[in-house]
Order: sequence, then C-alpha cells, then structure tokens
Amino acid sequence: MKQYFKTSIVLAIICAFAAIVLAALNGVTKPIIIEYENQKTLDALQAVSNDLSISDEFISVTDNDSINYYYDLSENGEKAGYLLNLVAIGYGGAMNLVASYNLDGEVLQAKVVSNSETPGLGKKSEEDWYMTKYLNKSIVPTKKTQLSSEEAAAISGASITFSAIGNSLAIGSEYVKGLGGK
Amino acid sequence: MSKNHKKEFTKGIIKENPTFVLLLGLCPTLGVTTMVSNAIGMGFSVLFVLTCSNIMISLLRKVIPDSVRIPSYIVIIASFVTIIEMVLHAFVPDVYTALGVFLPLIVVNCIILGRAEAFASKNTVFDSILDALGMGIGFTLALILIAAIREIFGSGTITLFPIGSFDGVIEIPVLYNFPIRVMTLAPGALLLMGYLKAFLEFTNKRNAKKEKLA
Repeated sequence: MKQYFKTSIVLAIICAFAAIVLAALNGVTKPIIIEYENQKTLDALQAVSNDLSISDEFISVTDNDSINYYYDLSENGEKAGYLLNLVAIGYGGAMNLVASYNLDGEVLQAKVVSNSETPGLGKKSEEDWYMTKYLNKSIVPTKKTQLSSEEAAAISGASITFSAIGNSLAIGSEYVKGLGGK
Repeated sequence: MSKNHKKEFTKGIIKENPTFVLLLGLCPTLGVTTMVSNAIGMGFSVLFVLTCSNIMISLLRKVIPDSVRIPSYIVIIASFVTIIEMVLHAFVPDVYTALGVFLPLIVVNCIILGRAEAFASKNTVFDSILDALGMGIGFTLALILIAAIREIFGSGTITLFPIGSFDGVIEIPVLYNFPIRVMTLAPGALLLMGYLKAFLEFTNKRNAKKEKLA
C-alpha cells in the first residue's frame, strides 16, 4: 500500500511540475502567438484582395461549416466581389484559407493561411503558383482529373490537399453566387 | 574528456547511428526529409528535446519508481516538446510552420524514449548529455544526408533558410527542369533508405574485415 502511495505521489509531482512550467511559458508565448496569427490573417486578406477595397467590418457566416466570415470588396464605391475566410479539411487536418471572388463566384486570388500538411507534398499549397490552378474558372476544380497533365504532375503526391482546397473554394463560390451581389 | 566519454559522444554519430544502425525514428525520417531546411529544423528540435529529457531523466533516475518510469518519461519528453513548440511558434514561426505535424510527433520518436530507457535512466548526467548530443547529431546528419539526396534528385533544389537577399533556395541545373519525382514521395524515401543502409553495412563489414586482417 505504501509503495502504491509513493509511486502515485512521485508521478503526480512530475505531472504538476510539468503543468506549472508549461502554464508559465504559455503565459509568455500566447500573446505573441495570437498577435502573429492575427497579423498573418490580415496580411493574407490584404494579399488576396486583388487591389480592391476591403470593407471595414466582416460578416460572420453561421449557416455554412466551410466559411467563417466574409468581407465585401468594392471598386470606386461599387461592389466588386467578396473576400472569404474558409476552412478546408486536408491530409493533416483543418486548413485555413482566404480567397477573393468576383460577383459571378470566380476565384480571383486565394492563399493558405495555416495548415498541417506534409512538408514537400501538401505544404506546397502555401506557394503562390499552387493556387493558380483554381483561379478565374467558372467551375472550381476539385479533382486532379480536371487539370491538364502538366498541372496534375505538379501536385502529385498531394491529391487530398488539392481536393480539400478545391472543395472549400467551390463551396465559397456557390455561397458567393447565392449572395447575388447583396 | 576521457576516452570513455569520447566514446559515449561519438558512438551515436556513426557506429550506433540512430537512423542507419539502430533504425529508430524512421517515420519522421521518411516524412520530413523532403527538404533540407525541414531536416535541419527537425534535427535540431530532436537534439534539444533529447538533451533536455536525458538530463532530466538522469537527474530523476533514483526518484522515479520502476513501475511508472514509462509514463514519467513520456510526461517529461512531452513537456519539452511542448516547450519547443511554443517557443518556435512564438519566436521562429517560419520553422514552426515548416515542421508542421512532425513537431508534436517528436513525443513518440523512438530515439528519445529509447535513449531515456536504455541510457539516461542508468547513467550519470554528464554521460547522458554526451549520449544525447552524439545521438542527436547523428540523427541530424542522417536527416540532412537523406533530405539533400531526395531534394536534389526529386525537386532539383536545395532549400535552406532565407538570409537577406538570398531566398534560401539553390536550384540545380538540369535536375530542376527534369526532377525524378519519385524521390520526393514515400516510396523514393524507402528506396533511398535501403540503399544507404546497404552501403553502410557494406563499408562496416569491409572495415571489420580489414581490422581482422591487420
């Protein structure tokens, strides 16, 4: 009995000490991480705005699991499209994307903000050339078979990531069409 | 440094290299070695966690009861992995992003638990540090070697970290336009591991034969 008590006390002390150290470090790093992530999202929104003006306030989307929120885009005071913050489920779990659409639902520009995809394979989606496969198409490609052989070769080994982003952008496209320029 | 200490340090680099001889930590080895920069980031992260966990486990080796040693080691290792994850995310976010899912997976890297169980729990702190440094350096060098071969042949590039005007990517002529794509995929990694292991076995046996004859 005494032995069990000693064993559990030692393990509890190790766990408690680890929890205290991690909590203290979390207190230091958490504000820096939040600031970095917010800045990254803002930079990404700005980067995909296609030189259009972004509205001051975003509108939260509660009726669609793939869309977090959207901003209106305008040119010379007239509505020109939408800027969506999207969620995709890739090979390594949830991915966060931002994409701009024109009023017809075509993707103007898109960028991956965060992901846990495999380095060298799905992680290539972070690069600008990767997203060009989805841009300015009336139907957003969701399968490798919808691409030219050259484009398909460039994403070999990362089909799940490609389809995940494509599906998410396609949902965004349908949503934008549904908004009808409102 | 005595001869014994020197042996503890150098054994992990070639003679008992964790990747090529002990065949430990193969999942992250095959997964992360698509780019040289990832291999460097992963190698140094493992080196840090291995050294810290070996020190802590060696210090506590007489305190931790035998029956709960594995859960205790896992808590210690997971804590150091979480520390490095938080620090990288906050202060070196590019490396954190590049390592992605492989960073939290260091918790279950067999090299770290293996050295904790086989070495740090039975030896002094100084010896455990030497063992961790040797094994960590051996693992890092193995990752860099595999990543360099895979990236050069599979993508025609060598990706390092960007410094100033240098974007971090060196393009290899010819191979950049005509890469051998299979090298970036899992089958290519397994094939390369097999060839490197065979080469190492061959040289080790040849050296042993030479020593016997001498």
